[in-house]
Amino acid sequence: MLAAVNSSGKAEAEEWQPKILAFCCNWCSYAGADAAGLERRQTPPTIRVIRVMCSGRIDPAFALMGFLEGADAVLITGCHIGDCHYVDANYKTRNRFEFLKEFVDELGLEPERLRLQWISASEGAIFADMVREVTENVKKVGPSPFRKSWKK
Amino acid sequence: MGACYLAWATDEKIRDRAANGGFVTAVLVAALEKDLLDAVIVVKKEDVYEGIPTVTSDPETVVECAGSLHAAPINLTRFVVEFYKDERNKGKKIGLPAKPCDARGIIEQAKRQQLDINDVYLVGLNCGGTLHPLGLREAAAEIYGIDPDAVVKEEIKAGKLFLSLQSGEERECKMDELEERGYGRRDSCKMCTTKIPTMADLACGNWGVPKGEEATFVEVLTEKGEALFRNALENGYIEVKEAPEESLEVRERIKNAMVKRAEEWWQKLDVVRELTRDERLKFYVETLKLCIHCGACRIVCPVCACGDAAKCVSMHDERDDYVISMYNMIRLLHLMDSCIGCGQCEDVCPVDIPLTLIHRRFAERMQRKLNYTPGMSVEEKPPFYEAELRWHDIL
Repeated sequence: MLAAVNSSGKAEAEEWQPKILAFCCNWCSYAGADAAGLERRQTPPTIRVIRVMCSGRIDPAFALMGFLEGADAVLITGCHIGDCHYVDANYKTRNRFEFLKEFVDELGLEPERLRLQWISASEGAIFADMVREVTENVKKVGPSPFRKSWKK
Repeated sequence: MGACYLAWATDEKIRDRAANGGFVTAVLVAALEKDLLDAVIVVKKEDVYEGIPTVTSDPETVVECAGSLHAAPINLTRFVVEFYKDERNKGKKIGLPAKPCDARGIIEQAKRQQLDINDVYLVGLNCGGTLHPLGLREAAAEIYGIDPDAVVKEEIKAGKLFLSLQSGEERECKMDELEERGYGRRDSCKMCTTKIPTMADLACGNWGVPKGEEATFVEVLTEKGEALFRNALENGYIEVKEAPEESLEVRERIKNAMVKRAEEWWQKLDVVRELTRDERLKFYVETLKLCIHCGACRIVCPVCACGDAAKCVSMHDERDDYVISMYNMIRLLHLMDSCIGCGQCEDVCPVDIPLTLIHRRFAERMQRKLNYTPGMSVEEKPPFYEAELRWHDIL
């Protein structure tokens, strides 16, 4: 995870670019991200994707670890409710995300830094829009407070 | 609401030792002698500041342990869990006097399959709060002006804390005054709103007992409670009379007053409320930074059931230099739905992190959102683990 967050994209532009950690489900949003590329949709180079077999595999602790490693935002993406490859795992994702959302808010991170989005394999447009939107929002709130005290 | 009685022990010895009529002791003794229970867990008085939880099948020991120990804030949940970890004890029936936080902890453990709630008989005790032994020692020296080691008995009566010396001399101080000066009950008790253990099998206490009478006010709440009560009554260990309407009202009034007071305390003790988002983060980072990861809070926590393979331990690495460690992050996250606010973690913390406050901050907002109160009923599963299909959401 550290490697994923640290690897900067191309040469840093002059404007500060956030580093966004995205968890993508193998069966939908990962293919969705692929579709966004195939369809030649412009997306900011801010996201670092970690592929998981299912959004239900994403423990809220992974997202927290991402924040601690210095991610400016964490995205959790998965199949639409009812479409899960493993029948019902994204219900669990949704349930856990409620906890994660409250946790991050209480801890003192801005709610913009965390997002849950359902993206199917064909929804490249939604994926691209989401990345754009989140990048803009995170640019408004600035670097993660954890990153300021982040060594290196 | 269950049937309410005023009850007292028939045995004079028990009545003398116990605080209010000795009902709790008599019921446990009766259950042991008539083989309703295999063992009971009671707290053995070491001195005013220390009690040792003891598993016993000997009625004599139970009688010896009668009376309350306010300055030994022990949660018995972990002892019950340890008891059932021993293969030989599987299926044995045990009983214990349980404060609301003991009862809630045990119910949370039952939800996590650590014990069978049908085997555990909870004789609930109304609880106005417990004192920290160190706090009481300091108070004895500074406010009462006596040597802490010379205190032989402490008692809380009518909002006052009495300390007795060997010579029989008794000194008193108002609880409110103690608390204003920074002593008195533990923080978790000050802000606890569960004063009557309605989740236990019996709820016993002296609230609502008419002045001058030496009796325990008892509410019978479940079938197990009924069994304990009947057993003691039919075998002549206790005498009872119907609780008058007035008693019920007084008890309710005392409870409501205490709950209101607890809410005021929470407003006062919640120092994070006033902070902005950034300050809040700073507060959490600054306080949790002190953690030395000894793991004591996890060991005493009455709702934790993960054991050695716990995520908070296995995902934590001493070599990480995170501003807040994964251990603390995961514990806070996992207790959001289940924290019962017993304050054990803060009691054992070697670096005095205000864990009661922090856990309550995180837990309260989630529990309110889910409209869920942990430790009230075995049927309500912890929402964090909720995994069933919710088809009605799509259909």
